[in-house]
Amino acid sequence: MLNVSNLFCGYNNKDIIKDISFEIEPGSNLCIIGPNGCGKSTLLKALANLIPYRGSIKIDGIEISNIKRKTLAKKIALLTQMNSIYFPYTIYETVSLGRYCHMNGMVPRLSSIDKDIIYDSMERLGLWGIRNTKINQLSGGQLQRVFLAKIFAQDPKIILLDEPTNHLDLKYQIEILQYINEWVKQNERAVVAVLHDLNLVQLYGNKVILLNDGKKHAYGTLKDVLINNALEEVYKIDIKKWMTEVLAKWQV
Amino acid sequence: MNKSKVIFTIAVTIIIMLSAVLIGTVDIKISDIINIILYKLFNLPLVKELKPNSISIIWNLRLPRVFLAFLVGAALSASGTVIQSILKNPLASPYTLGVSSGSSFCAGLVIVFGISIPIIGNITLPLFGFISGLVTVFAVIAFAKKVDERLSNNTIILVGMVFSLFINASLLILTSLYRENIESIVLWQMGSFSLRGWGYVRAALIFFIIGIIGVIKYTKEMDLLTFGEDEAKSNGVETEKIKIRLMIYSSILTGSAVALSGIIGFVDLIAPHVARKFFGSRHIYVLPMSAIFGGMLMVVSDIIARTIIAPSELPVSAVTALIGAPFFAYIYFKKQVV
Repeated sequence: MLNVSNLFCGYNNKDIIKDISFEIEPGSNLCIIGPNGCGKSTLLKALANLIPYRGSIKIDGIEISNIKRKTLAKKIALLTQMNSIYFPYTIYETVSLGRYCHMNGMVPRLSSIDKDIIYDSMERLGLWGIRNTKINQLSGGQLQRVFLAKIFAQDPKIILLDEPTNHLDLKYQIEILQYINEWVKQNERAVVAVLHDLNLVQLYGNKVILLNDGKKHAYGTLKDVLINNALEEVYKIDIKKWMTEVLAKWQV
Repeated sequence: MNKSKVIFTIAVTIIIMLSAVLIGTVDIKISDIINIILYKLFNLPLVKELKPNSISIIWNLRLPRVFLAFLVGAALSASGTVIQSILKNPLASPYTLGVSSGSSFCAGLVIVFGISIPIIGNITLPLFGFISGLVTVFAVIAFAKKVDERLSNNTIILVGMVFSLFINASLLILTSLYRENIESIVLWQMGSFSLRGWGYVRAALIFFIIGIIGVIKYTKEMDLLTFGEDEAKSNGVETEKIKIRLMIYSSILTGSAVALSGIIGFVDLIAPHVARKFFGSRHIYVLPMSAIFGGMLMVVSDIIARTIIAPSELPVSAVTALIGAPFFAYIYFKKQVV
């Protein structure tokens, strides 16, 4: 459903992502990993058409830079790292903004279908009961759930996640990824996630791209990437050995 | 719930506007005022013999003054709301972007050189005000973009401040070069609604209607923009296009208001804040309601300005600043504590 080929992009005419190609199939959960500053977030921004790029990013065969933002928003959504809150919208108001790309006309209004979808997204994340709470009164974990509900309401085909579990307690990290995993399983959807924690990658990703200095260093299942010692080359530590040691300690 | 609040606010506004017409050095009864308005609007007969003087005071002095104050307050506040959403900053205002200094400099030029375009007459001043406000905004954005390609809000705010200071200095130079106009420029800068007449009200109304219709279309987009540009884009907002349109319309609102009445600060800061307090954050409410609050606040400030040391008058801008500055400090420091 998403084809990336020979992608170059960056800021101020300097390429950060260099010649990357990959494909995303429906139902897949692709994780992007790599050391700090290797271009993970930049890659996601290009996929969301937030920065100019060279090469090609096609969704359902159409180049994303040629698609109107409203149309693109029905196909791809981006959950960014923690947002700052400047204006105190209620949870309900925030989630219903996700329906923006589905609304038309001079004075856009929420239809009953829109309202059903908003209810459904909020119910799924356990937010309906607190829908009138102001978002500036929420904890980090709750807030991230609100933004995820907004994306569920947006109802895209692909969700891009930029370190969605950053700053969250372990409980919330697992919770968020579980919600997303359930979502992917529904009709023909996919997720591309930038994750730091390799344990979470192991649990939730079915494909991995390992980036190093803006280039694709390895691509495949996490197991493949581990076996090929690619992680060691990029992170400069023997991760497999380290993990075995950690696991051994746990067994004690 | 919001509906009854809207009706209440409108009712209060009408009462305040009526009392503004009522208050003045010459006592005229409220029934007479209503009589005069109906007489002028619908040609209804005057119930009793009214002095032509009273009719003139109400119709030619007080009414246009109140309406102009309301329109200017409403325009500034609506524009303030828009700029705050674009800059994601509840403490920003059109002054932050340099719109006001741009228009005030140009209005200074119009006054000094006595420019008046024949056919459009009264509209010359607000038209120049709008155009120069807009030019300033684009200059600020172009310059900010040169310094910082990502056009972050902090850069915009700082560049806006720099431009404002620079243009204000230019106005100062202009004033000192044309000393014979010093009084009219200074008087105009202090902000006043006195002796402006219906021509000014008509001019203000035209620009207000164009501006407000322009921005009210984009309330959903403004909601999304407050969450940040990337967020808005990935929700489907064509941010570049819409931000520019919003800035143009808000220049129409601010530029014309500044040109017609002088530099009157703080209303555009307070009114949106009050509107958010009562009506939540959604711009479909905040935008029209902050216009109404802003208009109301301006009318009240004008009442204070012309009554507190009657028969002399204080500059309206002094009154709004005296109320506004402590209020500004209050919001800012309260936010810091939380």
